[in-house]
Amino acid sequence: MSTASRAAAGQKLAEYNNNPVNVLQIMRQIQLQAGCVDADAIEMLSDGLGIPRAQLLALVQFYSFLHLEPRGKYDLYLSDSITDRMLGSLETAEVLTRELGLSPEGHSEDGEISLSTTSCTGLCERGPAMIANGHAIQRVDTKRAKEIAKLITSGIPVEDWPVVWKAIDDVIVKKGPLLGKTLTPGAAIERAMRLGPHLTIAELEVSGLRGCGGAGFPTHLKWETCRSIDADQRFVVCNADEGEPGTFKDRALLNQYAEVLLEGMTVCAVTIGAKTGYIYLRHEYEFLRAQLLQHIEARREAGLLGRNILGHHGTDFEIYVYMGAGSYVCGEESALLESLEGKRGIPRIRPPFPVTRGLWGKPTIVNNVETLCYAAGILEHGAAFVMHKGNEPGWKLLSVSGDCAKPGIYEIPLGTPISEVLAECGASDVQAIQVGGPGGELISEEESGRLLPFDDVNTGGSFIVFDSTRDMFDVASNFTHFFAHESCGFCTPCRAGTKLMAQMTDKILDGHGARLDIDQIHTLNRVMTQASHCGLGQKAAVPILTTFEKFPESFHQRMEDVDYKPAFDVDAAIERSREIVSEERSS
Amino acid sequence: MSQTIKIDGVTVPFVEGQTIIQAAQDADIFIPHLCYHPDYSANGSCKMCTCRVNGRQMSSCTTKAAAGQVVESNTEEINSERRVLAQMLFVEGNHHCPSCEQSGNCVLQNMAHRLGMTALTFPNFYPGRPTDASHPDILLNRDRCIYCELCVRASRESDGKDVFCISGRSENKRLAINSRSGELLDSGLTRDDAAASVCPVGALIRKREGFATPIGEREFDRNPGQAVNIRAGTLPKLPRQPGQKIRVATCSLAGCFGCHMSLLDIDERLVDLVQVVEFDRTPLDDIKDFTQDCDIGLIEGGVCNTENVETLRKFRKHCKVLIAVGACAINGGVPSLRNGIDVRELLETSYVDGLGVDNPGIPTDPELPYILENVSPIHEVVKVDYFLPGCPPPADAFWHILSNIAQDEQPDLPYDLMHFD
Repeated sequence: MSTASRAAAGQKLAEYNNNPVNVLQIMRQIQLQAGCVDADAIEMLSDGLGIPRAQLLALVQFYSFLHLEPRGKYDLYLSDSITDRMLGSLETAEVLTRELGLSPEGHSEDGEISLSTTSCTGLCERGPAMIANGHAIQRVDTKRAKEIAKLITSGIPVEDWPVVWKAIDDVIVKKGPLLGKTLTPGAAIERAMRLGPHLTIAELEVSGLRGCGGAGFPTHLKWETCRSIDADQRFVVCNADEGEPGTFKDRALLNQYAEVLLEGMTVCAVTIGAKTGYIYLRHEYEFLRAQLLQHIEARREAGLLGRNILGHHGTDFEIYVYMGAGSYVCGEESALLESLEGKRGIPRIRPPFPVTRGLWGKPTIVNNVETLCYAAGILEHGAAFVMHKGNEPGWKLLSVSGDCAKPGIYEIPLGTPISEVLAECGASDVQAIQVGGPGGELISEEESGRLLPFDDVNTGGSFIVFDSTRDMFDVASNFTHFFAHESCGFCTPCRAGTKLMAQMTDKILDGHGARLDIDQIHTLNRVMTQASHCGLGQKAAVPILTTFEKFPESFHQRMEDVDYKPAFDVDAAIERSREIVSEERSS
Repeated sequence: MSQTIKIDGVTVPFVEGQTIIQAAQDADIFIPHLCYHPDYSANGSCKMCTCRVNGRQMSSCTTKAAAGQVVESNTEEINSERRVLAQMLFVEGNHHCPSCEQSGNCVLQNMAHRLGMTALTFPNFYPGRPTDASHPDILLNRDRCIYCELCVRASRESDGKDVFCISGRSENKRLAINSRSGELLDSGLTRDDAAASVCPVGALIRKREGFATPIGEREFDRNPGQAVNIRAGTLPKLPRQPGQKIRVATCSLAGCFGCHMSLLDIDERLVDLVQVVEFDRTPLDDIKDFTQDCDIGLIEGGVCNTENVETLRKFRKHCKVLIAVGACAINGGVPSLRNGIDVRELLETSYVDGLGVDNPGIPTDPELPYILENVSPIHEVVKVDYFLPGCPPPADAFWHILSNIAQDEQPDLPYDLMHFD
């Protein structure tokens, strides 16, 4: 494998002109080509890029899809999000493990196959999902798992697997202005140029556009701040690291509305005065990369990107697609910028915020895919673009998944009651809805009169429905483990706290829970909320605590009414000793 | 006119650009911290210096002082959070003060001491990260690393070498070495580098100096600093007739009996003690089993085999109040250094390959207890009501606590009697 990694390293170094800025891109390519970024590859990269070895090692060990040890020729990741579990991913894993004769760790004896789990792959409405050698494979139920096992056993490369498995179409159920109206390429840019930055930003202000990634920060303020800071260089970054479990609306936009996104990025660029833009696309969306590059190229040819955009002398803007390598935290804007700079995705100390000091220390706009798309619509058609009945502004895309008849993308006016979405998506026998992903809010059926973003129940787009057959403790446990897995480990409360939280969840799951554990979870929550460096740690205890509060019976059925119960299990603790003693006796 | 902020009600001047912790240090106000060091850029990762700044909790090492700020630091609310942070750092690594070269010079230990952290109530992770002893002068024990990144910063900012780097994420985070071998030996690190002596804990230590200064005479032994906050433990009330003695049982599980020795070190006060205490099952009087239920059970040592489990459960059953005594009972202590080593290797080292082993062979007699996969602190097996730290706890600490209880007072361990080593 070492030869393969060295060959790949040599090739990719040449392809990227030994430019250290591209270190993560190079590593990702080596991984895809050689199955690992091993010590030999690191050695070559260190010499070629002038980056210390340990820093390269640190990258490999930080990002989920990079590996020091070789992965199999068939490199499989099964999505372990709650929506995949609800669609049977555990059974899928069982079938694959059995049919392919894999070890519990997911390796075949000859090392040709590797199977691991990974966090949400963004195919929530078409799970169980899998990433196979970089290809997204949908609806891997037990039947498809058996077929996959057969293909692998027959040595059929993933490239030759049935096309329908990989055809990720988007189910757009409800269209509002963004999904419904046709936009003319270049029209928004043209108008933004005509209006000039002040009026462009004023238009955004009237439209009430807020960040659609989940934070809901007013977009015009971001753009205005970034624009008004004295700097020789500015950047536009599109956050396409859609990692929030249960969210796939950006996937649909990138797939079907890439033109609109590129238009929005260019509008932003001409408004704030940026020459360079990046789309930070999550590794799991590799299947969208090529077509995105084609769109960029086509727009360049049409004079909508590149030099002298729309014939305006000196208006230059280039967009590059930069791939992530597997890290949920990189969805946080400052962590994303670190990753763009080729570092581990650790959220920065804020302030300063990216608008004042972002990429390479320069003022940077980091906007979500959806936000930039809306910006394009608003600039082409004016703020009226986002007005709805009662002349209130604002729409939001929802990714609806879980127990409902019509999962898919819904564009809803701000302030829509949850119950309305439930009715539209054909959800019956609803027990609860997780809005905004694991760190969002768990809404019980009784609360479904509450209003969707931004001000009552906020969401970046995730909307997962659970019917009454679901065990809400399992849901909370899945979320808790997700946070422990994705913690970047930078700060104490999140690094240790998420792991402790996962341990306590397991303790309760195993029937060893007691009142003291709930007290401990409350204690941890207080410290994690108050002291964590970023939102991940601050929110990590929320699923367990909200579930305990709203669905106490899911806990009580697993717990005795006692103060203390140890996790300690004497039989498990002496299993190894017993084994050794019995071996000795029989020898 | 210089600008000011208020820290816990005290007006503190600051210079433009200073962080809150810098302003506090200039004014001799102590804010607990681990990853902050005045010589290096701020990291903001340990979160120990978190303060409430204008109502919002912020890291005081990364938050700039601004005129009129109101900072709360030394409050029970914030100190109790810091105590949890200290606990988190202890349980995620292997922080066994009694066997650590850095004991008495360790900033984490001192911080826990000042915060009144008497127990680890969260489960220990016992990580088993690789140790690097390759360098002739410097040792890296990763199980003690708290990821403060001071060595990373010192090597970069002071030594200009970039020897260290943080790798991995979540619980798999590791301190990585920048060298061809990945070890310290060929990293270019030298004994007199700033990075070699900046470690606030015992993760990165210079060889052959560990015990140059005896325990008891080290930096924080001489001057532990003001206690930030001592939390009195609360014990359930013991129903007794007036004048009735408290009934005490003691035992040592996986311990060295050092805690028992220390109890005996109260010397002539033993005479006073037996006026108020009746000893039941204890090696001190050689009573082998409980004659009746007791008020207090003092447990020394961790839980390493099935016999320990049985004894401990019996103590829990027969004692109204159970006190974990000493480092081994509280976090596994020295015996738990074996955690992470396979049981077969342990048994073979002891009974087959060990020095001076006669008639080698792993014992299989059914009378013998099984050893557990890990040595556990006692609170992971039974509920514990109070923790008396130390290795051993000083004689005066025993005297103090037992006197408190005999007088129906809540035990209140004085700051100077609290030790982790």
